[in-house]
Amino acid sequence: MLNIQARQEGNAAIVTIQGKVNFEVTAQLRDVIRDTVAQQQPKLLVINLEGVSFIDSSGLGLLVAARNSVDKSSGKLHLCGLPAQVKKTFDQTNLTNYFSIFTTEQDALRGA
Amino acid sequence: MSKGVVLVVDDESPIRDILSFYLKRADYQVLLAENGVRGLEEMGKLQPDLIISDLRMPEMAGDDFCRHVKSNTATKDIYFMLVSALDGSMSKIGGLNIGADDMISKPFHAQEVMAKVDSAFRIIAMQKEIKRQNVVLREFQDRVNNEMELASRLQMGLLPALPGIAPGILYTHRYLPAEGIGGDIYAITPLPDGSTALMIADVSGHGVTAALISSMVKTSFESQLRLSQDPHAWAVGMNQDLSRNTLAEQFATAFLAHLDPATSQMAYVVAGHPAPFMISCSGGGKPEQLSGKGFMLGIDADLPFSSQCAPFNVGDRLVLFTDGLEEVEREDRTYLGEEGLMEFCLDLPADAEDAAMHLVNQVQAYNGPATFSDDVTLVVVDRVN
Repeated sequence: MLNIQARQEGNAAIVTIQGKVNFEVTAQLRDVIRDTVAQQQPKLLVINLEGVSFIDSSGLGLLVAARNSVDKSSGKLHLCGLPAQVKKTFDQTNLTNYFSIFTTEQDALRGA
Repeated sequence: MSKGVVLVVDDESPIRDILSFYLKRADYQVLLAENGVRGLEEMGKLQPDLIISDLRMPEMAGDDFCRHVKSNTATKDIYFMLVSALDGSMSKIGGLNIGADDMISKPFHAQEVMAKVDSAFRIIAMQKEIKRQNVVLREFQDRVNNEMELASRLQMGLLPALPGIAPGILYTHRYLPAEGIGGDIYAITPLPDGSTALMIADVSGHGVTAALISSMVKTSFESQLRLSQDPHAWAVGMNQDLSRNTLAEQFATAFLAHLDPATSQMAYVVAGHPAPFMISCSGGGKPEQLSGKGFMLGIDADLPFSSQCAPFNVGDRLVLFTDGLEEVEREDRTYLGEEGLMEFCLDLPADAEDAAMHLVNQVQAYNGPATFSDDVTLVVVDRVN
């Protein structure tokens, strides 16, 4: 079960993801991120992964694509709340050095 | 042209005549019979779309006739209306239970019967349309399945032939795509100087797109081999190829290695891929994961990569795999992971083929009865003289 919520705070858009991010749900997640970026054109997009139990390669690909699309509109992408299992996946793929990663959502919002 | 063919079965000729009159007036083609046996004979000449049959008739009564029609695959879809006096001989529910599609109670108004017939023909038309669409869909599905089958065979053909022999190594593989074709690929290529190039990769996603990219990965790898013998240069080049030619969210994790049997050294790059296990003689047969990590290939053309080096001596074994083999979660949510997979690598059979079978069986048993949900590739490489 995947739960995705998007909200706005000032110039920032926050997308909160809960559940298992795999191939079956990437289409749904892609739509939310695309719509958020297209409609709000946020200076900062924060993706909160606190509730994510698992992320597979399609999910990682989606985050990379999110960074690309935010880059194109001169915005920034901050990730926050990576659980240990997800952090491990990021470490293995060096993505910890590709994304700006914060511990809490507040940190991610301040880090703009 | 008639609106359809109706068979009227009744032992009373006045009823046959009345129904026939109204049906013909409404442009239906009418067949007549005085009992079930005659009805079946009529059906042998021309198959009706609809049958209106009385219940009580000599020779073959309406309920038997109905069962006959509904138990034969060639006639079971004919719409069957059973006409019955409401004298307790058969309830409406009883009639529907033996397979009739509708009941008409006697005595009836011809107009009521005609309204039911028109309504039945609307359903018949819908059913015919659904059947037609089903045939189209089935043909389409067959074509897709055939093409997938061909693609799957083609993809299998991209894998090294087994039993695998290259300078300094013997190897085997297990390749289990989740959807007939998949995004896993591996290659072991002897180089002109007597060394061997090795690659295993896993393209993000599944299915046709991943399979297309996986063949791109292989082509890119092979073109890199013509330019250099350095896995670091291969990674940089393949990363540029994939960054240019795939969408932002498509990438491949990979392990790239160059083995020189003369020095028993293996230079390698871990590109976002689970690092392989080395089971070395010097380590007493205990599997150890090779060190190193790095970006996957294809997310950004400018990303840096780093290479490592490890001894690969005669008698050592390298176990390469894609994450589908270890990202296995059971129903009780226990997760195999690399640690669990490594445990399965303790005490593997000496023969590479047996070892591969043993390992896949272990993971399958762990995962069972579920099947793998991701593409799974396992390559067992034994270093030999």
